[in-house]
Amino acid sequence: MAVSLRRSRRYVMLLVLLGGFGLVLFRLVTLQVLQAAELTVKADRQHQKTVSLEGARGTIVDRNGKVLAMNLEVPSVFGVPTDVDSPAKAARVLSPVLHVRANELEQKLRQDRRFVWLARKLDPEQGRWFERTQIEGIGVVMEGRRFYPKGPLLSHLLGFAGMDGQGLEGIERRYESDLQGEKRVTVLQRDAKGRTVFSKGQQAEQAPAPGHRLVLTIDEVIQYIVEKELDNAVARAQAKSGTMIVLEPHSGALLALAGSPRFDPNVLSNLSPDRWRNRALTDAYEPGSTMKAILAAAAIEERVMKPDTLVFGEHGSMAIASTVIHDHEKLGWLTFAQVIQKSSNIGAAKAGIALGDQRLYQYLQAFGFGARTEIDLPGEATGLLKNPKSWGRRTVASVSMGQEVGVTPMQMVTAIGAIANGGQLMKPYVVSEIRDAQDEVKRQILPQVRRRVISPETARAVTRILEGVVTDGTGGKAAISGFRVAGKTGTAQKIDPRTGTYSDSKFVSSFVGYVPADNPRLAMIVVIDEPQGEAWGGAVAAPVFNRVGEQVLSYMGVSSPEPVKLAMAAGRS
Amino acid sequence: MRLLAMCVGLCLVFLFVWERVDMVRVGYQVERLKQEKTLLERERDQLRVKVSALSAPDRIAKVATERLGMAPPQRGQIIVVQAEPLAVPPMQGAPVELRIAKHEPIAVRR
Repeated sequence: MAVSLRRSRRYVMLLVLLGGFGLVLFRLVTLQVLQAAELTVKADRQHQKTVSLEGARGTIVDRNGKVLAMNLEVPSVFGVPTDVDSPAKAARVLSPVLHVRANELEQKLRQDRRFVWLARKLDPEQGRWFERTQIEGIGVVMEGRRFYPKGPLLSHLLGFAGMDGQGLEGIERRYESDLQGEKRVTVLQRDAKGRTVFSKGQQAEQAPAPGHRLVLTIDEVIQYIVEKELDNAVARAQAKSGTMIVLEPHSGALLALAGSPRFDPNVLSNLSPDRWRNRALTDAYEPGSTMKAILAAAAIEERVMKPDTLVFGEHGSMAIASTVIHDHEKLGWLTFAQVIQKSSNIGAAKAGIALGDQRLYQYLQAFGFGARTEIDLPGEATGLLKNPKSWGRRTVASVSMGQEVGVTPMQMVTAIGAIANGGQLMKPYVVSEIRDAQDEVKRQILPQVRRRVISPETARAVTRILEGVVTDGTGGKAAISGFRVAGKTGTAQKIDPRTGTYSDSKFVSSFVGYVPADNPRLAMIVVIDEPQGEAWGGAVAAPVFNRVGEQVLSYMGVSSPEPVKLAMAAGRS
Repeated sequence: MRLLAMCVGLCLVFLFVWERVDMVRVGYQVERLKQEKTLLERERDQLRVKVSALSAPDRIAKVATERLGMAPPQRGQIIVVQAEPLAVPPMQGAPVELRIAKHEPIAVRR
């Protein structure tokens, strides 16, 4: 009896165990075979995290390696409205930290969404608060933000990058593909706490490469001098705006480019596009008498005029094509050099007529007018240079004195640079090197000659004439003590859009020139738009040339050709 | 012999387990160091921006003029001097340029 009871218990136990194993086996088959695909996906989703990595945007430095623009990782704050217990309380706490109104934050946190941005790209100091305090449903992610540590310095040339790190203006836009960091999507394994873990055979994840570093031809000290003097001149003349460019005539490399008023690319809100437009490239203006420097080069090269050719000044007025051209003073017989030095419109018109429509047009084209200079900056205008077929009877005279033609400051300074360097038109450029993260040069931009425009002899003759403009003519205020300066003043009437005729009260005053005249290191243009009161280029723009030239030559260590000489004992140095 | 084989087998099992555990441990260590590196790089970049802002020419000019009472040299205060050896033989060395700043009393603002 007892034996049969024990046996039946064994059977029961066996059945229970078999049943148990059967259940386990069934569950195992269900999980491992029947639901295998679905569960694998689910597990991967929990263990794996797909992250999109992006290398930092490249840095922009000046010719001496001074940082002009660079990226910083800064905190951005987001909310998960479904996880926030009390939107009103969270908004009240966050408002003073994020500097956003509480009701605005509360409104965002009450939205029926899984994710909302509360504040993006904060200052690093603001992010420290979130290291100490945690609020349910509020999170922080790090994002790259563009910083311009020098503030408004070089703002018109640098441009700026947008909220998502894409270049929108200036160098930032032109070199977008070089500046952009590497973008990569990668899958990381993580544990229950969300920490990244390494599985066997997994390669160590390399950080994505940052964008390339741009080395500019600009010198931040020269840029500062230019901006300071230009701002002062615009303020003194109560002018609408001002533009100045400094370049090396032998290479075409830009040393400075400034617009006034300036803007701070770190603070762009409430600024109109008009404020950040780079007028040196985008705005064409009638150059007025500065064009006579180019006319002189063409007339002398074509042997239509020599510096000592006599021209009659018609005592200040000359009729042409049923209109009358006036000079600012009654002039009689003049040499051609004096025509330029005294800025005689009548003398210039006669030289232009002697040269002829076609040849004048060809030279203006050769000097780069009516076409882009191809500088490595966006938004460049071509200016306005009509084909001689559409010229009127007065056009040749008008163009000779800088009317009926539109040029950009960049075109004009490049053209004067060609006279300065002995007759070669250079391509202006602003980026000299592109380097990678390992500081290896990926691309080097070298000076590029576009074409020879005039002979070195003509360039020398024109330089002597332009020196006369400063020593004996209208550009006396551009003179720099101890240096020979060559240049030309310009005072152009603006066209009144209401009447379509030249305005009597709105002018563009300019000065373009180079220094030292015998071995030019700097070619510069100063353009002041709508100065109030005295508007002559010689009075408004030439002094800026003088002040900038004096300081920049001193900074560059260019010594006067006539230094004081001291005798020293032989052998000592 | 059998005991030895069992011991070796057990050792291999422990080695395998230890390798896996250590890999995870080192993985966490690598991750922590990477985070530390990121923080240090972030701090370095912040300092770089700060240095760049502090060395801006307009700030230096402002500090020099307003706090230190300095002023840019005026016309005539810098004289470039070309030093030449005396014409007495033997002639040695090339002419050397010296830049001399002429010291004149300037009003110091404080």
